[in-house]
Amino acid sequence: MKKKIFVICAVLLGLVVVSCKKDWLERTPKNILTDDQVWNDPKQLLSLLANFYNRIPSDMSIDANWRNMADYDDAMWSGNSNDEGRNNISSYATDRWNLWDYEFIRDINLSIEKLEELGVNLEADTKRELTAELRFIRAWMYFEMVRRMGGIPIVTGQLLYDYSGNVGPLQVPRAKEADVYDFIATEMDEIKDQLGNMGSGNAPSVSRANKYTALALKSRALLYAGSLAKYNNLRPQPITTPGGEVGIPASRAEEYYQKSLAASLEIINSGAYELKTNDANPAQAFYEAVTKKAGNREAIFVKDFLTAKNKRHGFTYENIARGIREDNLSSSQVVPSLNLVEAFDYLDGSDGEIKNRTPDGSDYIYYDQPQDIFANKDGRLLGTILYPGSTFKGYTIEMQAGVKVWNGSSYQTIEGGQLGSLYTDGKLLVAASGPHRSIQDVSNTGFYLRKYIDDGGGTSTRGIQSDVWMIRIRLGEIYLNAAEAAFELGNTTDALKYINTLRERAGFGPNSLSSLTIDKIRNERRVELAFEDHRVWDLKRWRIADQVWNGDAGNPQALVRALYPYRVIRPGDPRDGKYVYDKLQAPRILSARFFQVRSYYTFIPQAVLDNNPLIVRNPLQ
Amino acid sequence: MKFHLIIAAVLLFITGCKKDNKEPPSSTITGRIIYQGQPLSVRSGGVELELWQYGYQLRNKIPVYVKQDGSFSARVFNGSYKMTLLKGNGPWADMPDSIDVQVNGSVTADVTVDPYFIVHDVTYQRSGNNITATFRLQPVNTSRTLEAARLYIGQTTIVDQNNNMANASLPANQIPDFGQPVTITAAIPAALQNKDYLFVRVGVKTNGVAELLYSLPMGMSNK
Repeated sequence: MKKKIFVICAVLLGLVVVSCKKDWLERTPKNILTDDQVWNDPKQLLSLLANFYNRIPSDMSIDANWRNMADYDDAMWSGNSNDEGRNNISSYATDRWNLWDYEFIRDINLSIEKLEELGVNLEADTKRELTAELRFIRAWMYFEMVRRMGGIPIVTGQLLYDYSGNVGPLQVPRAKEADVYDFIATEMDEIKDQLGNMGSGNAPSVSRANKYTALALKSRALLYAGSLAKYNNLRPQPITTPGGEVGIPASRAEEYYQKSLAASLEIINSGAYELKTNDANPAQAFYEAVTKKAGNREAIFVKDFLTAKNKRHGFTYENIARGIREDNLSSSQVVPSLNLVEAFDYLDGSDGEIKNRTPDGSDYIYYDQPQDIFANKDGRLLGTILYPGSTFKGYTIEMQAGVKVWNGSSYQTIEGGQLGSLYTDGKLLVAASGPHRSIQDVSNTGFYLRKYIDDGGGTSTRGIQSDVWMIRIRLGEIYLNAAEAAFELGNTTDALKYINTLRERAGFGPNSLSSLTIDKIRNERRVELAFEDHRVWDLKRWRIADQVWNGDAGNPQALVRALYPYRVIRPGDPRDGKYVYDKLQAPRILSARFFQVRSYYTFIPQAVLDNNPLIVRNPLQ
Repeated sequence: MKFHLIIAAVLLFITGCKKDNKEPPSSTITGRIIYQGQPLSVRSGGVELELWQYGYQLRNKIPVYVKQDGSFSARVFNGSYKMTLLKGNGPWADMPDSIDVQVNGSVTADVTVDPYFIVHDVTYQRSGNNITATFRLQPVNTSRTLEAARLYIGQTTIVDQNNNMANASLPANQIPDFGQPVTITAAIPAALQNKDYLFVRVGVKTNGVAELLYSLPMGMSNK
């Protein structure tokens, strides 16, 4: 008993002694970070920025929604039938491209304010650079929203409720479309000299914003604004709202083009970037300009990946050509269209139409090798697309849809149900890479992607995956922005200079073009920037999306077309064993692309309209 | 214990049986898009009206799609609605005024519009593998000019700009005089030449308006 009392006393004494410590309950938490810690620690701030950069959206992000590449006219869906709807887009949904991410905007605004208020221990330079970087991301976000939704509310600080019962101050109306573009331009002007990340030896960072990234965003955004001002008002019925939330006055076009051109020229003339060239192999140069990181001085702003840090994606696994895949599933999901292939000119400057029939259409043109039909095409074709007989990773992409047997008066077409099957003559019937009319995960068009496809060993397996980066802006686009702005301002000489520089890298001779039309510039943009998230936005800002994709089943532009190679069987004839090509509507494409006028601006979500009565609807909504 | 389980199961069963407590809407609004009392034909699913109901703080439109013969219908709850035309959506002049519709049971509400062009007196003639349409164009609202007149051939009764097997277009500069009948010829595509039926329709395209105004589709026997 005595012993027990002693123990109890000892415990009580111990408790008293310990609890005597002052502020015993005031401790630094071990499981959460306090504001002071976050906003004063450059490492914490770096990881915050990484989170924000990672959240910048794209319509075809290489690690997320790349399937959207199959929804326009540059490509189609050849993968799993779950996504077959991409081949049957009889109308683009009214909520497609919807982006109303004020959660992200608030996160950025909060960071800017906290950094200013609490980041007292940071060096002034660091603080200024970080703030400028946050403002860059915010401006990019506003650009992504304005090109989808039209004018949106510009919110640059936290919106805090004061519990007064009056929510009026929290309701921000939509800004005019022009005001949003002006906001982006002003922000870029203010921050471009505050940004750091200039690297060493004139090699600025490509994954974080610097002066040139800011100029590049300005170049692109104001080009959009200029073309919206010009081409929307050339429509017989311009798309506008009475308050200017949609619709920019035509009078502002020139000013926007001038500012965009000035920004582009500052980048081009800085010498900080240069086009990747390889005179002996322009296709390889173009492939490397987009897909390769090592020694790449063309990229300006990218979303980067790194296998060593386990930041990887399965784009190569999903889209590598069927015959050379290393995994047992997937491959070939997004495949380029004949439409895109024909958009690439011949090196002599003639129109890029593929010549499969004699000029009078009476007979096929016979080719010795499958790849011969693509001879003398723009080098960027092979830099972007793998066609029959081309090589990648040291393998030849063997493609053959079937055979054409001569029966004395005409050809009988024989196709097979199995890849890699042989015809009765013991030679190939259907090649390992197709094309095939109905098999999944094999090309339905006769082409495969090369751009963004990793050529490293094992990168098309699910185990290893790929860390190819995604280009957001590169110098090639800046040249095109400069050319378009200069052309719209009437300076064709300069526009030609920029376009010809790009074409020279693609394998054309110097000064390959001597005259220029807006259609030519648009086509250059299409072939140079295919699969880099430009096509749909470009057609929208030129206001021609509803004409190009008009839903008419008789309009070849609105359909995804295919090119099928066949081997000729005609014993005793010199044409025996040669290759002929059929052009056709891709068999899995069920309806023509149909872009309705209402799709120029995504409908404002109903929840947004319900929450804020000041928000006006988009045209036709 | 077992008994309790049985009771619990029975209770679950009983509560799970509860029916929906909302009746579905049972009233209908039907109507047609008309000009001078005659319905106008449009593209199937292309033209949309919107219905707005009064009396609620939050509201969302009820889209009403117009069939290709110009009729439409919607099933709604009783109440008072406003029906509006979407700006720039149909082949007629914009009409900012809305139409009040009181729904109590079933009602008919025709929408009178001001079309740019209408199509009259359409006849089709088949010769060999060609079809020739002859018709008259009448300008009504002259604020916009003609872009083209078109003839469509399709395999089903749904035939229009987006659903057709073949079409032919006659640009406005070849239609100098609206007093004269317009003639367009289109070749029947090979895939349709041996079918029992095909369907034809003419449409008129106004400059700057996406949707066309059509005639009623007509079936033609191939025999």
